[in-house]
Amino acid sequence: MAELGDIQNEFIRAEIEEYLERPEEIERNIELFSRSRPKMQDMAAALIDGDNDTVDQLTREALDEGIEALEVMDDGLIAGMGIVGIKFRENIIFVPEVLACARAMKAGMAHIEPILSASGIDPVGTVIMGTVKGDLHDIGKNLCIMMLRGSGFVVHDLGVDTSEDEFMDAVEEHEASLLGMSALLTTTMPNMGKTIEAFIDADLREDVKIMVGGAPVTQEFADDMGADGYGKDALACVDLAKQLLEEIEEEQNA
Amino acid sequence: MQKIDPEAYRKRLERMSAIFGEMVEHADEQSLTRCPYKDRHDRCTALFGCRHRRPSEEGLPHCVSDDKLDYRSAWESAPAEAVDKMRDRLKKGRKNEQ
Repeated sequence: MAELGDIQNEFIRAEIEEYLERPEEIERNIELFSRSRPKMQDMAAALIDGDNDTVDQLTREALDEGIEALEVMDDGLIAGMGIVGIKFRENIIFVPEVLACARAMKAGMAHIEPILSASGIDPVGTVIMGTVKGDLHDIGKNLCIMMLRGSGFVVHDLGVDTSEDEFMDAVEEHEASLLGMSALLTTTMPNMGKTIEAFIDADLREDVKIMVGGAPVTQEFADDMGADGYGKDALACVDLAKQLLEEIEEEQNA
Repeated sequence: MQKIDPEAYRKRLERMSAIFGEMVEHADEQSLTRCPYKDRHDRCTALFGCRHRRPSEEGLPHCVSDDKLDYRSAWESAPAEAVDKMRDRLKKGRKNEQ
């Protein structure tokens, strides 16, 4: 049976010792990290620390050294994110830290994407995401992006205060089949409708399925604005995105 | 270039989705009692202004909120109607100005 001291990385050892309380989780993580390579431990540590530059560098190095992509995912990225999940559940870290870790994971996954492509594994879909013009609230959108990426979607994040033109340019540039718009303010919600109108005016509306969300947004509002779907939260966002992709496929086969 | 078995990759996606799914559920629960823009050091990461912010010499401003307010209950529950009402009010206001 592995012991904490078998883990080479000091940061990982401290994380397990300090923050993990459930015996089965302690045992599982000691087992996992004690058998993983030092580089994978370093990668997991950098991810837990939200250090995307180091995750980026270590992932590139690991793949260049011939380490299997699945090992990088298992022992580096997912193993690190597992600890992040536990720390978040126990209220040791909070949403901003989780999002920093998710960005670090994305930095690592970026090096795995070409291998997926070479293996004939296409992304589930391509999504453009942004908070509408005049709105600077981005937590909900960022959680949606984290969920979508974790589910195999390629997501291009336009950030906050996104204009109609920025949405349209991104859809065209990335040939995205899905667009997600978020708003938290009742004052900025109408900008979702304006963006949809802009897509209609530019004759681009048929090219993309549009989903909307945000705390004050409702299904009724989404219908009024002419959106293709409404997601009440980040979990619903992924289901909706998959459902809209199915609709696209059905329309193409009709 | 190395190759990845699609079935093996699918299993990893399921694992990631499970981890992120639990996080999102927890974030939803936690947002009832703690502002989601506040980090572990009680610093505000929001891009917008907030009256609970206080300047800090260390970069990000400090949050002084006591987190006792459930802000969500104050949010509009029928925004579509509210937007329509607001449009009507604006129209009436413009007419009165003319």
